[in-house]
Amino acid sequence: MTDVASRRDAGERPAPPERVVTLTVNGRSYALRMDTRVTLLDALRDRLGLVGTKKGCDQGACGACTVHLDGRRVLACLTLAAQAEGRAITTIEGISGTDGPHPVQQAFMEHDGFQCGFCTPGQIMSAVALMAEGRAGSDEEIREFMSGNLCRCGAYPNIVAAIREAATRGGHDARL
Amino acid sequence: MSTVESRPRIGAGVNRVDGPRKVTGTAPYPMDFSVPGQAYGALVQSTVAAGRIVRMHTEAAEGAPGVITVITHENAPKVGTGPVTVLGASPPPPLRDDRVVHHGQHIAFVVAETPEQATAAARLVRADYEATEPLLDLQDPRAEQLVDPWGTDTSRGDSAAALESAEVTLRATYTTADNTNNPLGLFATLAAWEGETLTVHDTSQWPSMVRTCLAMVFGIPESSVRVLVPYVGGGFGAGLRAWPHVILTAMAARMIKRPVKLVLTRPQMFTSVGHRPSGVQWLSVGATRDGELVALDHRSLSSLSMEDNDYEPFAWASSFAYRCPNVTTQDRQARLNVAVPTSMRAPAEAQGNFALESALDELAHSLRMDPLELRLRNHTDVDPRNGLPWSGKALLECYEVGARRFGWSDRNPEPRSMRDGNWLVGYGMASALFPYFAQPCAAQATVNRDGSALVRSAATDIGTGTYTVMAQLAAEELGLSLDLVRFDLGDSDMPNAMMAGGSGLTGALGNAVHDACRRLVRSFAELACGDADSPLLGFSPDDVECTDGKVHPVGRPHLGESYADILARHGLSELTANGNSTPPVATELGMSLAGAYGAKFVEVRVDADLGLLRVARVVSVIDGGRILNEKTARSQIIGGTVGGIGMALFEDTVTDPRTGRIANGTFADYLVAVNADVPEMDVVFVGEPDRGTATGTKGVGEVGLVGIAPAIANAVYHATGKRLRELPITLDALL
Repeated sequence: MTDVASRRDAGERPAPPERVVTLTVNGRSYALRMDTRVTLLDALRDRLGLVGTKKGCDQGACGACTVHLDGRRVLACLTLAAQAEGRAITTIEGISGTDGPHPVQQAFMEHDGFQCGFCTPGQIMSAVALMAEGRAGSDEEIREFMSGNLCRCGAYPNIVAAIREAATRGGHDARL
Repeated sequence: MSTVESRPRIGAGVNRVDGPRKVTGTAPYPMDFSVPGQAYGALVQSTVAAGRIVRMHTEAAEGAPGVITVITHENAPKVGTGPVTVLGASPPPPLRDDRVVHHGQHIAFVVAETPEQATAAARLVRADYEATEPLLDLQDPRAEQLVDPWGTDTSRGDSAAALESAEVTLRATYTTADNTNNPLGLFATLAAWEGETLTVHDTSQWPSMVRTCLAMVFGIPESSVRVLVPYVGGGFGAGLRAWPHVILTAMAARMIKRPVKLVLTRPQMFTSVGHRPSGVQWLSVGATRDGELVALDHRSLSSLSMEDNDYEPFAWASSFAYRCPNVTTQDRQARLNVAVPTSMRAPAEAQGNFALESALDELAHSLRMDPLELRLRNHTDVDPRNGLPWSGKALLECYEVGARRFGWSDRNPEPRSMRDGNWLVGYGMASALFPYFAQPCAAQATVNRDGSALVRSAATDIGTGTYTVMAQLAAEELGLSLDLVRFDLGDSDMPNAMMAGGSGLTGALGNAVHDACRRLVRSFAELACGDADSPLLGFSPDDVECTDGKVHPVGRPHLGESYADILARHGLSELTANGNSTPPVATELGMSLAGAYGAKFVEVRVDADLGLLRVARVVSVIDGGRILNEKTARSQIIGGTVGGIGMALFEDTVTDPRTGRIANGTFADYLVAVNADVPEMDVVFVGEPDRGTATGTKGVGEVGLVGIAPAIANAVYHATGKRLRELPITLDALL
């Protein structure tokens, strides 16, 4: 600790490495000049204004920042924006259809699968991916594979009910 | 007009009106706001728990890229102190002097052009300390003890003598851990000054109080401060204070004449916004051989920080939970070098009820009596403190319905007698209450020319459903369909509201909304009843009601007309009325205000070899008075239950006993219940609208948590024969 601090004090700070990163988010492309150390989460929130993706810990422990990279769920706080270059990034802002909410969003509303709503975008992004992964076969399975998304309000039973319904109703609908 | 009696006991479980925003990520939380030109703050926190700062080294940070200023106690402007509220004194303002009273105290605030620059520069700030030995042990004899800090100690009869002569006595000590609120939403503040006018987005459960506090701190009129929080991101009590970081952010914005934004980190959430304090409780219970309580002595000692207040009388509710002639309750707090504790979901009751309901279970087993039967035998329908009837108490119905739905009678009373393969199966139960609480509230109701209504109050919706249930209530009072009514909140410029806390907001605000809507209807009735062109001409405004969007004489909807018609004919764009509520007084009512009750039944499974502990099912039967929305109320009970499971099995904020540093201040290390920890739940509402208030509600935000931890501990005893008196109950205790 002391060594690091004293090195910092000595002013040995190289200029932050910057470059242009091109991100494809919800089907749109953005070229952003930024520090290569910026996380995908901060790029989405601070550079693109897509604040639906939430920061709950910034340490990969709560799931609030869950987004999809090429359809698979990742934690945006543990992903560098530069790593997402050339891949399809989907956020909560990108999953509603033109004809209304995604079936998972609708099921969350019907089953009251949230309270304060802060973890909800991450829960929904996880739930959508979970069904694509084929992990929504039983309540037990849903519980297990949704356990990376903390909900401090404790809406878990309603989240399970919402996913169960969306999975049952939607089957293997292409949108799921 | 409609009366409480004619309303449904359980209101329609309509979906949350804010649901579409929450599921699409468009609900704006404090951390989501930005304004042009804003700078970013980062906190520097002390690395010792006690002592004084000898010197601050800020030069490196000041020279770092993008840094605008570094504020320490050496250059911070002197500011005032916030108000004393029902929760006690405001937290002392930050950076007053060189003293350090807990690890993680804010000792500097770095402001820079970007969040990354602020964070990087904050790590360059160093402090030289003259450290002293911190007081960290609750039972350290050197720690100052506050005796009866809230004036809540009680004594009736002679509990000492009654214990002496009781046929059966039980004495036991229970301990509960520090728990951290940890709402998922990181607390954020965005402060912007325009001259002497301050606008703040802040994670708060009580914007009216934050406004008062900031006005006092900066010496400006309350009308010059506006606090906004349309969506909170959870609180569980953490948002009940105007915390030092809020003041620091506003202070910095004033100093640099630019807006400043601060978002706490998760580790900072452990030291900056309160926690549920740890405590020790001593219970002595005396009873007859057939289970009648004759004496109860309940004492507590809980932890408190050096300079703050925290309302936490663990033992108090034991003075009215059961019929018992000889009762003593005493609460003390010990001042330690720890971060300030604060209310966390079911403050005091979460801890106190664990001790009381565990002790009663122990007593029942020692009497070889059904624990449920012991509760029934000591039930009271009157407040034992004053002999007044409760304004509503359906606890007996809670027991009866709960026992039936759970299958309590299937239980083999013998500990360690029920088994499913290698799982030891245990049944446990506990009684629960959360005392009545309310503060004054105001609301304003408007009906517009287009026939829609807007009702507003400076309240918050922390996830409880305030947006929804207040819109439902207003729609009912105004006779409008829900889609024509909007409830707005989260803005301190709106009429004053109490905190979203103490399970009090729904009742107090509901009564204010009820009042505002009735006054508004009255205004319309007075206009119409004196209008020659109105079908209501000649009717008394006292005999008017509203249904299906029409104002009409009671029982005669065909003589009605719409709000829009009345406004149009009088050339008005809107009519507005203000409403208020003040807490009822028990002696005036001739009733004691009851609060919510519940009975909790839990099945646990313990692996006979490995000690693994799983909660298998939970039945909660709740008397919440009138329930405005079955769906959101049920969610409150479910959420409280999850919090109770966390308290019972996982949550333990560990403070290093030498340094005072919190050793597990992350979501990876501080365990909370996750989806896979939470079983099927059965939630049922029973009882009648509370007789003490106009709307008949009781508030259900906390009663869902109360009783879960002791029901689990009691079930663990039944499963294993091991009595565990310390929370959380972890695997090592079961091996």
